[in-house]
Amino acid sequence: MKTCIACGMPMTKPEDFPLRDESRDYCVHCARADGSMQSYKEKAASMAAFLVGTQGLDEGAALAAAKAMMACLPAWSGRK
Amino acid sequence: MSTKSTISTAKKSPAPKNREAQKRETRRRILDAAVRVFARDGILASTTAAVAVEAGVAHGSVFVHFESQEGLIVAAIQEFGKTLSLRLHELAQRGAGTREVLEAHLKGIREREDFYAHLVVEAPLLPDEAKTSLVLIQSAISFHLSPAIEADRAAGRIKAMPLSLLFNTWVGLVHYYLANRELFAPGASVIDERGTELLDHFISLISKGGRR
Repeated sequence: MKTCIACGMPMTKPEDFPLRDESRDYCVHCARADGSMQSYKEKAASMAAFLVGTQGLDEGAALAAAKAMMACLPAWSGRK
Repeated sequence: MSTKSTISTAKKSPAPKNREAQKRETRRRILDAAVRVFARDGILASTTAAVAVEAGVAHGSVFVHFESQEGLIVAAIQEFGKTLSLRLHELAQRGAGTREVLEAHLKGIREREDFYAHLVVEAPLLPDEAKTSLVLIQSAISFHLSPAIEADRAAGRIKAMPLSLLFNTWVGLVHYYLANRELFAPGASVIDERGTELLDHFISLISKGGRR
């Protein structure tokens, strides 16, 4: 089973992949409309917005948490 | 003679593939042992020496696979998160409702209840990377819970309220019972003893008309 290199989500079905392309290493939620992977800045912003919306985190704390989580993922390894 | 010696050496050394498999197996064994020791002794009070004894490996072997005690703690939390996330992901793919996702959340916690209870209590004192891993676990839960809530809300089964407050109310309730489990279920699993009660209460709170 693959896990998304950009957010860590398990990818178990074709719908989990961008454009249902199972050769991709990133998930549908980390892809742009054309199927390419979101940039670091785009992903950090969308992940922070998700943390604010679903867990009610402060915006600054959410962005810091998003970047810290991303640093643990292969696509963004080592980036701060 | 030298040929014999070479052959003999080659026979003794495992093939690279086997070595890799052995390495993975040892890492797995240490990680499983760490979770058991953290569950038994607490996360911050545990030592890598105790983990090595539990895993049946030399103390130094722990540091071959994990660069530090902090790295071991983070890996243990991430492993727990991965298992929970996969369980919820499979459920979400089947279009499960809010109650079913929350039941799966409790079931996932139950599998590692002692470890998770220590994680909840000790979280503020853990290293930053470990705290981040805990946020990541909550994110995986909320990510899989969100579609179920949206679907139930659209069908008029649950009240309209901010997703963050709904999620935090659930997590706050579960974590409070876990943190004080000796008061709510002395010597037993608080999820086994009180999980259904908590779930029924929460569903009643969010349901339209207080339905269950």
